[in-house]
Amino acid sequence: MAEPQDISAVGFGEDLGQGVALIPAPSGGLHQLVPDAGDVYATSSGWRLAWREYASNKLALIALALLILVVLFCFVGPIFYHSNQTLSNPLDQTQPPSAAHLLGTDENGFDELGRLMLGGQSALEIGAYASLVAIVIGTLYGAIAGLVGGVLDAVLMRFVDVLLSIPFLIVVLVLATKYSGTVLDISLVLGIFSWLVPSRLVRGEVLTLRTRDFVIAAQTMGANRRRVIFRHLIPNAMSVTIVNITFLIADSILALALLGFIGFGLQFPNTSWGDMLGNAQTYVTNGEWWLVYPVGGLLVIVVLCFNIIGDALRDAVDVRLRRR
Amino acid sequence: MIGYIIRRLLTAVIVVIGVAAITFAMLHYVAPSPVYIVLGTKATHRAIEVWNRQHGYDRPEIIQFLSYLNNLIHLNFGYAYKFSQSVSALFKENAGRSAYLSGTALVLSLIIALPLGVVQAVKRNSPGDYAATAVNFTLYSMPSFFLGLILIQVFALDLGWFPPGVSDTVTSTFSAITHVRQLFLPIITLALLNVAAFSRYMRSAALDELAQDYIRLARAKGLSERRVLVRHLLRNASLSTITLIGLSVPSLLAGNLLIEILFNYPGLGLLFYNALTNLDYNVMIAYTLLGAILTVLGNLLADITIAAADPRVRLG
Amino acid sequence: MASPALKVHDLTTEIQLSRATVHAVGNVDLEIAEGETLGLVGESGSGKSILGLSILGLLPNGGHVTGGSIKLYDRELVGMKPRELREIRGNDIAMIFQDSLSSLNPTKSIGEQVAEPVRLHRGASRKEAFDRALEVLELVGLPRPRERMADYPHQLSGGLRQRVMIAIALSCEPKVLLADEPTTALDVTIQAQILKVLDDLEQRLGMATLLVTHDMGVVAGRSKRINVMYAGRIVETAPSEELFTAMRHPYTQALLGSIPRLESDASKPLLSIPGLPPDLTHPPTGCRFAARCRFATDQCRAQEPPLTGSGDHQFACWNPVEGPAIITVVRPTASSAPAGTVVASVINEPAPAVSAPSSNGSAPLLELVDVVREYPVTAGALLKRKVNSVKAVSNVSLYVNPGESFGLVGESGCGKTSLGKLIVGIEKPDGGHVKVNGEELFRKRGGELRRARRVVQMMFQDPYGSLDPRMRVRSILREPMQIQGIGSTKDQDKRVRELLGEVGLPVNALERYPHEFSGGQRQRIALARALVLEPKIMVADEPVSALDVSIRSQVLNLMKRLQAEHGMASIVISHDLAVVKYLSDRIGVMYLGRLVELGTGDDIYRRAAHPYTDALIKTIPVPDPAIEKAKTEVGIRGELPSPIDPPSGCRFRTRCPLAQEICAEVEPPMRRFSPSHQAACHFPLQTPEPETAAANGATSAAATGVS
Repeated sequence: MAEPQDISAVGFGEDLGQGVALIPAPSGGLHQLVPDAGDVYATSSGWRLAWREYASNKLALIALALLILVVLFCFVGPIFYHSNQTLSNPLDQTQPPSAAHLLGTDENGFDELGRLMLGGQSALEIGAYASLVAIVIGTLYGAIAGLVGGVLDAVLMRFVDVLLSIPFLIVVLVLATKYSGTVLDISLVLGIFSWLVPSRLVRGEVLTLRTRDFVIAAQTMGANRRRVIFRHLIPNAMSVTIVNITFLIADSILALALLGFIGFGLQFPNTSWGDMLGNAQTYVTNGEWWLVYPVGGLLVIVVLCFNIIGDALRDAVDVRLRRR
Repeated sequence: MIGYIIRRLLTAVIVVIGVAAITFAMLHYVAPSPVYIVLGTKATHRAIEVWNRQHGYDRPEIIQFLSYLNNLIHLNFGYAYKFSQSVSALFKENAGRSAYLSGTALVLSLIIALPLGVVQAVKRNSPGDYAATAVNFTLYSMPSFFLGLILIQVFALDLGWFPPGVSDTVTSTFSAITHVRQLFLPIITLALLNVAAFSRYMRSAALDELAQDYIRLARAKGLSERRVLVRHLLRNASLSTITLIGLSVPSLLAGNLLIEILFNYPGLGLLFYNALTNLDYNVMIAYTLLGAILTVLGNLLADITIAAADPRVRLG
Repeated sequence: MASPALKVHDLTTEIQLSRATVHAVGNVDLEIAEGETLGLVGESGSGKSILGLSILGLLPNGGHVTGGSIKLYDRELVGMKPRELREIRGNDIAMIFQDSLSSLNPTKSIGEQVAEPVRLHRGASRKEAFDRALEVLELVGLPRPRERMADYPHQLSGGLRQRVMIAIALSCEPKVLLADEPTTALDVTIQAQILKVLDDLEQRLGMATLLVTHDMGVVAGRSKRINVMYAGRIVETAPSEELFTAMRHPYTQALLGSIPRLESDASKPLLSIPGLPPDLTHPPTGCRFAARCRFATDQCRAQEPPLTGSGDHQFACWNPVEGPAIITVVRPTASSAPAGTVVASVINEPAPAVSAPSSNGSAPLLELVDVVREYPVTAGALLKRKVNSVKAVSNVSLYVNPGESFGLVGESGCGKTSLGKLIVGIEKPDGGHVKVNGEELFRKRGGELRRARRVVQMMFQDPYGSLDPRMRVRSILREPMQIQGIGSTKDQDKRVRELLGEVGLPVNALERYPHEFSGGQRQRIALARALVLEPKIMVADEPVSALDVSIRSQVLNLMKRLQAEHGMASIVISHDLAVVKYLSDRIGVMYLGRLVELGTGDDIYRRAAHPYTDALIKTIPVPDPAIEKAKTEVGIRGELPSPIDPPSGCRFRTRCPLAQEICAEVEPPMRRFSPSHQAACHFPLQTPEPETAAANGATSAAATGVS
């Protein structure tokens, strides 16, 4: 059982590779003193790993599927389910669900199911536009504050502090007294006051990234500011931004519903789910359930889906970056 | 510690002045003068000009702002033309009722949410945790008025346990307190919404703390799970929740807004709603400012509480 | 021998994850008698910590003991009711953890935390418990314990916090103490103090101690027996002398051969263990070490070896070895070269003669003259007023010749990392000059600065943070060439492939992202990146301290070889003198922002002139029981003073056994002890050379050099 213990190197030099010291293994083969690094295990890209992590979350997959269904329902649905949404029909007022009107009609005689689709369109559009406005402003603002630093950073962030002290809903309501009615107006009003939180997050992310070794390494290679920002900082800060978009959409859709409920909604013939719920109290009291629960339920489902997706995305992105 | 509080107070004052400026500018942009409420939309151009000159609305904006700020220091919020009363008097009348609604809801939600969050964290991934998380998430994704509607449907209309709204008999703060049955639904609605946000946060804060090594050391000392939670975890997990509670003070005001509208409860929110539909300038600006001041105060209180409770902050 | 206080038999612990089961510990046996210390050595992931936690029933979520028995005297702990087990925890069996900052509750005073188990287990009153807490805090050597009782953990230094944690463990006079990496987070001088405390207490209290660590040096001197764990199994158990001199398991042999040692000849390469430890969610059949073992046969891969051998010395191996590996390196082409020729010296460029700046009159490659770096300490929320400064680097002068490897050693907070940043030009000195080839490169701007950066490149400590997680390895390695505008895409690609081969990574690594690599592999990528631009100087800041022992030697050997092959100068920064000595021709020792001693590896190790260097060497745990057991001194007393307000005169005087009045008044100048050896001390341990010209420090030494 005793094997030779004196491992003397026999081969050493140019002919055996670049100065690699070799020692014979008892089994007869040669053994490198500078061994290879072992296998490289995983085989997937960063995004694919994030997707795999996301996909492993059953709830998140369901939420995503549900959301796709809702989008199809709102935008493709009207092609298959025709309904009159422009001319009110006094004869058809407030009818309970029937074969002609699957979800009944409202007090103007509009088909509720068709209206649900119409309202969904504006909700999803406004959610998308408002979050886009917010994320663009927020990312740029936060990135500039984080990158420039110093006095400018302090001033910019104090300004954010001040704006953040004004309750979101109140500001939006005040502005909505003048600007509401069109999809664009409401998107802008919501977006212009939603960028504060993302800007803080992006700034924080940029500040941490700036001190990370890989950024310092790029500097020691001679990378200039532009390269550091566009090649390293922005791509790495993107994950925060992307995760935030979903939450912003959810919040925007909620805010839109509140605006509509209070009476600062879209102008006829456009409508939003909030607008449809404006008289919900009366409907409830009158037992006109089909005018309340389908809309409200759909609204909650959509917001819930966005929140679930956001949570799952955050976990997935975290895993991808943290995985060691 | 005292130096810290003074510094924070000074910053708070600066923020409030900044907020006042922004609010003033914004409102001025939306509704430059309350003249239309007073004279109606059909008033002649001439009459409008005269009224504006009389009441100082023709001066440069910066002067108007400074005089507003000056009035503010003397706790004069201006005149509510629609209500034909001073804003201060209106607020004084309504603030008590709003505070009662918000305060009760806040206390109730904390009593439920903090232990719930900790229990969820301790029993994470159990069926109970999943159920609570699902409920929380749904509540969190629900517009406040819709939750109110559901509660009205179930408890007022179907079961008939509570009235669907607040009747006109509730006039004073005192009567609000005595009409428990009438206020039950508004308070529960508001509390449930807060439970959703708080317990979700508390759960993740408690999870973070549970993963800390000091919990393991506490167990290694032989402490029972209960003691580990009560003696070590609860306090440290609550520390990070204090900030959230501070931040939620103003959102209670905004949450109040919809609940007050829905239940027709005469508080500041309903007042603001009426002012909004009539563009009653001074009420709108005062309400917005109040929201901002509450935010700043909430933050300040949270920071001071943390400084007092956390030796790492207190002793640097 | 007394009956064992703790006896673990055939213990198996598994951890259930969401999608897999980690077979963390399998079939482990061990015994500890009263008053005895048992060492348990293993790398991260070997299951050594899980074993410790299994004993106390404190396994992480999903973890459970699936088989075997754990006995405290004759009480069986496996399957015991939680209530009964709680009475044992902290009372009969206590545990010390690695990270004292996170292990102590940040919002409770240390007095309360020490008193807590006393109140719990002894039913003591508040007053009694506090008295007892005071007593134990005194016992563990916490200075001024009465005043410190009301302090909070964050107010204490790491060493003092570790003492508090020991006090908590000892408060109820446990019969068994489990110490899980008790000193890993500490500096060597503090580590020595803590280990001394543990040794003393163990003897005084007659506890049975399980010392869990990855550091062979730490166990060498203080445990009677040592168990070596690998991938969840105990692979060898022996009395410590025997384990170090006559080990039988190839893993033990390789592990000991792969540790750089202070006393050994740095020219011999370290033994490397190839590859990575196995994934314990799917452990291999057969011997778990087989895939990395030089002696593995088909039997090893098919059948798991049981523990065999005599009663005292057991090992689990089909093809056991006998004693340590002896590495002799023979140069086949030049047969006249003596055995033991350096790997490095085989490569084209011979290592430069160790001496003052190159003797042929040209300037040194890198020269630091009186370099100062201070970080401002600010106060105030809005207007940041500078109230003081951290004196990170104070008047450091040194030089590095072309092709030379220079090591910088010191404890945390000594300013070595700041100095490294100054050398690569990430930070600018507040005073003095950093010159490369006689030029102050980093005062340049724009394109000139960019080109200048090619000369100095860097390797970082954290293999996880130094590579951009969003770039593939190909882009990471091409980036330096892109920035510098070198070569066509095709040339760059060719160069990238070459480098990948040089650092021993397969070509398929090119399209991978950093997160797909292990720590050691990432450090290889980082090394390749540092080499891309063919720099004249490479700065490596703690290049291996984040890696496991068996991986370290891979990277160390590689660094040493490539440095010589590329003819670069290197500056290796580390807290580990052995690592620095292995990689460097010359070594600088730093203490609290100052360079206190400068010399060759042998100057430093055999002829240390500065009392700090001397004490440092004496405190470093050596993986050799004979040396460790002979040690009696604690080394350096006390704690590191604050770098914001460093002591006047000689900064080491507050902890120096030789300090006298003059040390507080006059800052000691650099004195020469030999052409290569200098130290700044009023009362050096060696006799300085008579000439006083060297008194002005390294620069003047350079001027008067030994040409």
